[in-house]
Amino acid sequence: MKKTLIVSLLFLFAFTFSSCEKDDICDANTPTTPRLVIEFYDISNASVLKNVTDLKVIGEGRPEGIVFNDATDDSKYVTNGSKISIPLKTDTNATTYSFILNSRNSNPTLIDTDKVTFNYTRNDVFVSRACGFKTLFTFDPLNPYVQTPIPATKLKWMQYISVEKSNIDNENETHIKVFF
Amino acid sequence: MKHTLKYFFSIGFLMSLLFVQAQDTIPNNSSLERTKIVGEIPEVPKQVTTKNATATKTDTIVPVKKDRYGVRVGVDLYKLTRGLYDENYKGIELVGDYRLTKNYYAAAEIGSEDKTTEDDRLNTTTKGTYLKVGFDYNAYENWLDMENIISIGLRGGFSTFSQELNSYKTYNAYPYWGEMPWKTSGEKFNGLTASWLEVVAGVKVKVINNIFVGFSLRMNMLITDKKPSDNFENLYIPGFNRTYAGNFGVGFNYTVTYFVPLYKKTVKPKKK
Repeated sequence: MKKTLIVSLLFLFAFTFSSCEKDDICDANTPTTPRLVIEFYDISNASVLKNVTDLKVIGEGRPEGIVFNDATDDSKYVTNGSKISIPLKTDTNATTYSFILNSRNSNPTLIDTDKVTFNYTRNDVFVSRACGFKTLFTFDPLNPYVQTPIPATKLKWMQYISVEKSNIDNENETHIKVFF
Repeated sequence: MKHTLKYFFSIGFLMSLLFVQAQDTIPNNSSLERTKIVGEIPEVPKQVTTKNATATKTDTIVPVKKDRYGVRVGVDLYKLTRGLYDENYKGIELVGDYRLTKNYYAAAEIGSEDKTTEDDRLNTTTKGTYLKVGFDYNAYENWLDMENIISIGLRGGFSTFSQELNSYKTYNAYPYWGEMPWKTSGEKFNGLTASWLEVVAGVKVKVINNIFVGFSLRMNMLITDKKPSDNFENLYIPGFNRTYAGNFGVGFNYTVTYFVPLYKKTVKPKKK
């Protein structure tokens, strides 16, 4: 009687080893460092989403643009939707992107480029052993962004930029609305 | 991978325990059968006078068996030697037990650890001391004057410690700006505490005179855990070892102990 008890206890002991979960790999569904979510709206009808045409977004100093889709050729760098998510730098308080509209147009005068620098403060928050920390951002309240057309003589194609959420905590909400 | 391997070895050790347990039962059964046969044989020649029967009885004088009672003290060799090859670890554990009854032992471990844990995105240093108190039940029936132990036991563990976040990496699912470097923090959390329960399976073998070597495997269940802050958690607890997503943990030790005999008790033969 005693022995069966001990043996069963040992088995219980052994089985608990097999039930331990692997927690060294960061689960893709865990909310980590959020990207900046931008939505594009029609300037003449501010409540209607408007699709961009061949928008290419390149970070300052980066050789390639942000990849928006699974295409294998250069079309992966352009988007024709109304919503984009772009990563902010987690080691400095400013990130600069060039937003290139009609980027694939053969006529260079029809390509519009606006350069936007986003200014923010950062806060690193612990997630888990596997994921480490995530960085949350808060837009600079006085000067959240700086927008310049390239070349400077041109008009800005983004006619109005509105900061909707000054805290970037997750990717489930739109942080910035762009009207054009 | 290292951890997974550890479990494989642990399970291997457990299996070996079961073998020892299995070995134990065989001689007992056979000896039982033997006495039965011996008991039956005199039944057959009924004609034998009673005088003979009384004579055989006086022959079977059982030698008096005495159990030694006392204190066993020692050290965990694994923790002691790990500091020699692992520069991230310094620790010591003293172990002791006191024999209460034939099979029950009061047992305790006291230790101190200083461990730097290097995870993929976190580097932390935990320093602290711990105390574990409980009992062991010896399930092994020794022959003659053997004093080996195969035990299962329970401990309550308590630890006070500090945890320092040395450096960390932010997780970046979209590494457009490249892999971010480690950030140094140096944030230190003092006055942390934790308590837990341990189920202990152990073996102790007498090697020479009063010196025993043994090892034990432990399954831990965290009961209380004072977190450093809302923003952080205890990744290692002295005595409890690495923490997991739940409240579960594992441990083991490899001990050398010295038995200090205090008194002897005569073993009463079992009534059957």
